[in-house]
Amino acid sequence: MKRLLVVGLSIALVYLVYTGTLSVVEVLIAVGIGLALSRVIGVDLVKDESKLSVRRFFEAVKYALKYFTVIEYLAHYSVVKAILSRDPGLKPAIVEVPYYVNSEIAVVTIANSITNTPGTVVVDVDEKRKKFYVHWIFAEAFEGEEARRGVSAEFEEWAKKIFD
Amino acid sequence: MIDVLLFVLGSSLMVLSAVLSLIGAVGFLRFRNFFLRLHSATVGSIGGGVYGLVGLALLTLSLDVPGYLKYYIFGVAIVSAALVVFASPTGSHILSRAAYRSGEAAPRPLIRDKLKEAGLE
Repeated sequence: MKRLLVVGLSIALVYLVYTGTLSVVEVLIAVGIGLALSRVIGVDLVKDESKLSVRRFFEAVKYALKYFTVIEYLAHYSVVKAILSRDPGLKPAIVEVPYYVNSEIAVVTIANSITNTPGTVVVDVDEKRKKFYVHWIFAEAFEGEEARRGVSAEFEEWAKKIFD
Repeated sequence: MIDVLLFVLGSSLMVLSAVLSLIGAVGFLRFRNFFLRLHSATVGSIGGGVYGLVGLALLTLSLDVPGYLKYYIFGVAIVSAALVVFASPTGSHILSRAAYRSGEAAPRPLIRDKLKEAGLE
């Protein structure tokens, strides 16, 4: 029930923000479509209903705010500096980064966060051994905890708080 | 007061995103390798795309135009920004994985290749 409502109302919210209207007819259409879609895809989107909580939602909001200000700024700054400087000082390498989260969505969140910051791109993932293979243009370490600290430690901490 | 603030913030974000798009394009020309170019593509898509769209949304809110138009453009910009954030890394993952596995784009120069060492190819 909780899953149906949360997924349905989220879809309705996206619909209303996208159309930019708040008339009664539109709200009814949005909620109707949202609940119908939620009935179909809700089970795939939310595997564990007990994890839906307000605390996790606010953690996600906090993460988004920090990610799009501080983290993206620092990553963009280093890559922009490399692009514009005469001697970019690149050290490109494909490094092995371990991860310790369990849920699929947390793995996707970490991989997307890594790729969305300029300077690191996930090339492959080994789900059995729980390793990302990341193309890092300023490689400081090649494997283990040191590589994890440089690439994904912070994202993983947030992903654990939000999804695991 | 709030209108002025939104206008300044929105237009600054749009100028920033224009500059970052240009720098991303310069990076495309300067980096001579597929994997390095992916990084400057990220500068173009996140810095040049997402920040620009968020800037457009804030800028529209501050303008003196009819409400439905204002909120419509705001909504489209915000939803598009979210879509770029979620979809563009997926594209990068597929491209980099395909380029690496097919061997079409050799990742050179490369100081170490842990993926080759792991033998997952």
